[in-house]
Amino acid sequence: MTAIRHLTRRDLLRLSPSVAAALAVGCRSRTGRFVDREIDTGRIAGSIVGASHEVGHRLRAGGLPEPQEIRDVPVVIVGAGIAGLSAGWKLAKSGFRDFEILELETDAGGNSRWGANEVSAYPWGAHYLPVPSSESTAVRELLEEMGMVHDLGPDGDPIYDPRHLCHAPQERLFIDGRWQEGISARELLGTAPAPGDQAMLAEFEQQVRRYQDYRDARGRRAFALPMALSSDDPDLVALDRISMLEYFDRAGWTSERLRWYVDYCCRDDYGCSLETTSAWAAWHYFCSRDEEVEYLTWPEGNGRIVRHIVERLERHLHSGMLVYRIRLTADPGTSETSTEGVDVDVLDTRTNSSVRIRARQVIYALPRFTATHVLAGYELPGIDAFSYAPWMVANLTVDRLPEGAAWDNVIYDSLSLGYVVATHQNLRVAPGPSVLTYYMPLAVPNPEVARRWMLERSWDDWVSIILGDLAPAHVGLESLVTQIDVMLWGHAMIRPVPGFLWGEPRRRAAEAFGPVRFAHSDMSGISLFEEAQYRGVRAAEDLMRDVGHAYRSSLGLAEEGV
Amino acid sequence: MDEHNTPSTDDRHSKSLALLCSVFAIATCGLIYELLAGTIASYMLGDSVTQFSTIIGVYLFSMGLGSYLSRYFHKDLIAVFIQIEILVGLIGGLSSLVLFMAFAELDAFRVVLYSWVALTGILVGLEIPLVLRILKDQFPFSDLISKVLSLDYLGGLAASLLFPLWLVPQVGLMQSSFVFGVLNVLVAVWTCHLFRAQHRRPILTVQAYAVLALLLTGVAFSEVLLDFSERRLYQDPVIFARSSRYQRIVATQAQGEMRLFLNGDLQFSSLDEYRYHEALVHPGLASVASPQQVLVLGGGDGMVVREILKDQRVQHVTLVDLDPTMTDLFTDHRVFAALNNYALRSPRVEVVNADAFVWLEDSTSRYDFIVIDFPDPSNYSLGKLYTTTFYRRLAAHLAPDGVAAIQSSSPLMARRAFWCIVETVRMAGFDATPYHVAVPSFGEWGYVLASHEPFQMPERFPENLRFLNQLITPALFTFPTDMEAVPVEVNRLNNQILVRYQKEDWGQFAP
Repeated sequence: MTAIRHLTRRDLLRLSPSVAAALAVGCRSRTGRFVDREIDTGRIAGSIVGASHEVGHRLRAGGLPEPQEIRDVPVVIVGAGIAGLSAGWKLAKSGFRDFEILELETDAGGNSRWGANEVSAYPWGAHYLPVPSSESTAVRELLEEMGMVHDLGPDGDPIYDPRHLCHAPQERLFIDGRWQEGISARELLGTAPAPGDQAMLAEFEQQVRRYQDYRDARGRRAFALPMALSSDDPDLVALDRISMLEYFDRAGWTSERLRWYVDYCCRDDYGCSLETTSAWAAWHYFCSRDEEVEYLTWPEGNGRIVRHIVERLERHLHSGMLVYRIRLTADPGTSETSTEGVDVDVLDTRTNSSVRIRARQVIYALPRFTATHVLAGYELPGIDAFSYAPWMVANLTVDRLPEGAAWDNVIYDSLSLGYVVATHQNLRVAPGPSVLTYYMPLAVPNPEVARRWMLERSWDDWVSIILGDLAPAHVGLESLVTQIDVMLWGHAMIRPVPGFLWGEPRRRAAEAFGPVRFAHSDMSGISLFEEAQYRGVRAAEDLMRDVGHAYRSSLGLAEEGV
Repeated sequence: MDEHNTPSTDDRHSKSLALLCSVFAIATCGLIYELLAGTIASYMLGDSVTQFSTIIGVYLFSMGLGSYLSRYFHKDLIAVFIQIEILVGLIGGLSSLVLFMAFAELDAFRVVLYSWVALTGILVGLEIPLVLRILKDQFPFSDLISKVLSLDYLGGLAASLLFPLWLVPQVGLMQSSFVFGVLNVLVAVWTCHLFRAQHRRPILTVQAYAVLALLLTGVAFSEVLLDFSERRLYQDPVIFARSSRYQRIVATQAQGEMRLFLNGDLQFSSLDEYRYHEALVHPGLASVASPQQVLVLGGGDGMVVREILKDQRVQHVTLVDLDPTMTDLFTDHRVFAALNNYALRSPRVEVVNADAFVWLEDSTSRYDFIVIDFPDPSNYSLGKLYTTTFYRRLAAHLAPDGVAAIQSSSPLMARRAFWCIVETVRMAGFDATPYHVAVPSFGEWGYVLASHEPFQMPERFPENLRFLNQLITPALFTFPTDMEAVPVEVNRLNNQILVRYQKEDWGQFAP
């Protein structure tokens, strides 16, 4: 038997006083709903799985075995998240064969990793991709290659295979004690608007349209995807200096529901609350895509994309590899062409033996905070500005789908983002078992504290937190759940806090370190598939240009910006 | 004289009176059981004249048998009488439950039916002779005969009035049999009590109370046991109810009309289903030049297959229905299989239990004629089966000169839903030909023919049709003003607009 209750500020106080303060923003228990009861969780199996915190921490601890052999590999890509995989994808597609991708985890994919059990495949992180806009040329190219494009429309725009566009019903929200269809601001405010809500919503929507339609003198959008193609007009850039909360305060948008909605969106995409998200990043969320955007989704989420790329890179990909030291073998200060190369020291975590790879070029596709531990001699002023949000993701296997489930099921005023249904795109009519992927970003001002708190929680704690959160909206859910697996992402997402996106450290993060190039979504400041892919493809193209390998750019217009 | 051993005249008189009263009660109960059996048999098997005749015959004959057998009881007649009362209460009280269960679970329903009626008859037949013998010293013979028989026939009158006027409409078959079983046993209990001085039979008292408890439990739980708890939701008596993995199957019957409900939605009425099914199948089927291979999606009741088999050109029918409980019921159960003329047992027919969309994705076969008889698109799961994606899959399975007939909701009650299906079929690249027919149980009903080539009105139909003919068919393809096309969106997996049309349109029509 497990005591089930809502994770509230009060509970957190009991669990950990420091985190209570930290999580306070996300824990507003305004509705005062408490469900304290005993439920039988005896039949629920599961564990905390994945992410190699232990191995990763060996980096800092030191004492790793010295390399026993030396190999020559012209190009090494460190990290097989979307950025690293995309770099490999572009190289392989361009006929460039001499590269290896080294990945610490058993499975490639980074935030797009996935799992599978006898019921369904399911995501461990990113679970959908908005239909790409015309600027996201590389995303379009990839999706076409995956066979997702069904046809071409009259305007030449791709028509995506309806089997993979998110089916109806897409979203539902539990609010005021019942489920309602849709979670958009309009649907949210339509139910029980407080005085002034409608006017504020109208102003908000008007601002969204204004930014969507905005084009600067050079024809650039206010907020583009990839973000490097966005306008740098000063009054837009100025948005990065304040938080979205400040923006709301200045605009006089006091509507509680509108605030909740935008806060939810910020937590969903950035792992940050209204208070900690830069207003530029928040507007980017709403204005970088066309209205009525559709989503491509698969049972394993963006794992489907990972599978596609990994199949093509099989022989280049090496997992279980801890890259613990990268050293330039010539002074990076001298001219690049004269640089002899890079020593990449790698621990094979399965044999616990090390090897030194002599590379001429490296694409460093790990989050930047790791660079200080790995890249000898690398200095990036203000690297501490790179901060990361911790996330907890759980996969709940259920005997039967909760009644009326949509694809995305959100609970108003919850710490979590709710859950998505892995079997949603299934064409079956018969009801059956499913897997629910439950997301909880720890969107707090101080991620360091939240990270420690998160890693200290036991599996039992998480089961209690998850079921406690879902219980009011799902009577008897615990009797449907057979398994709960939990993954703790210590550094899940770069945090676009005010000042970061248009600040110096991020701008300089794009600069290569001798023959070491960087590729990661944290260079964009927003953790989106499109950004990771852009950074990866871009690094690969830059590399091929420098070594004189012919390629056709996948980035189209994307020749400028950082 | 000992008071306890030699009862007073008063006491004797009251006991006699009590026994005479019990004659009345027994007679009423006996006839009620007979009427119950007759009614249930009529519900299940139809043809009430035959059912009532045979049951009355078997019952009266069994009573005679019981009367004859009464000669073999010599001792302790009061105890025998009480014992028989308890047994009649038990057998009669359980009769409805047993007959309903036998109908749902057993092939040999008739065997159970007549055995049960015979058993009840024998026991009831034993009662009157025993009472006569018990009371033979209390009254002059002529007086006794006139008393007992007149009370017996009076009980018959009471039963024959109570049954149609109160029991069937107010109490229900199941509860009626329990209530009268309880009454029977109460007579036994009372008799036990009256004769407690002379005939101490603790075992009988215990038996009586045990049966009483059993019957009262039956009153409380029988509907749950039979899954009939939602009986009150249906207008007519429920004769069959079962929950499969996927749906709730309920059959009701009244005046020779059987209705089948899935999850509370009427699927067909045996009175007019031929209109619905002939119209769904034959315009399309007859228009195909050489319909050898036929596919039916949905339609686990086998009615569509029955219609298809009327066309001798058809060589093979594949029926794909999700629910094995449905297809088994309509293959194996005599009453239900008779409705589709045992079509699912035909060697020309293959039954596959699978999810239609998934099955279509996996299959590569092509068919000359396809019938789609899915439930209405009232939820998102079912709505998937009416999308462009589904119809595109369908197109890949339809022979170049083939035709697919699609049941498409009501163009009158769900006008936008109907025309949405038409437009969706068109969007998937088909030539779409809408038509409609009046089915009294459903109202105006609509269908769409989907074909790669323009549809040609058929020249001739199979001969043994009850509704369709050459003359009327072209009229089905014209739409009156209140059912004409309206502007609608196309139904896709990512909008499922049809589910909204269906809900809103029906909502308007419902009071």
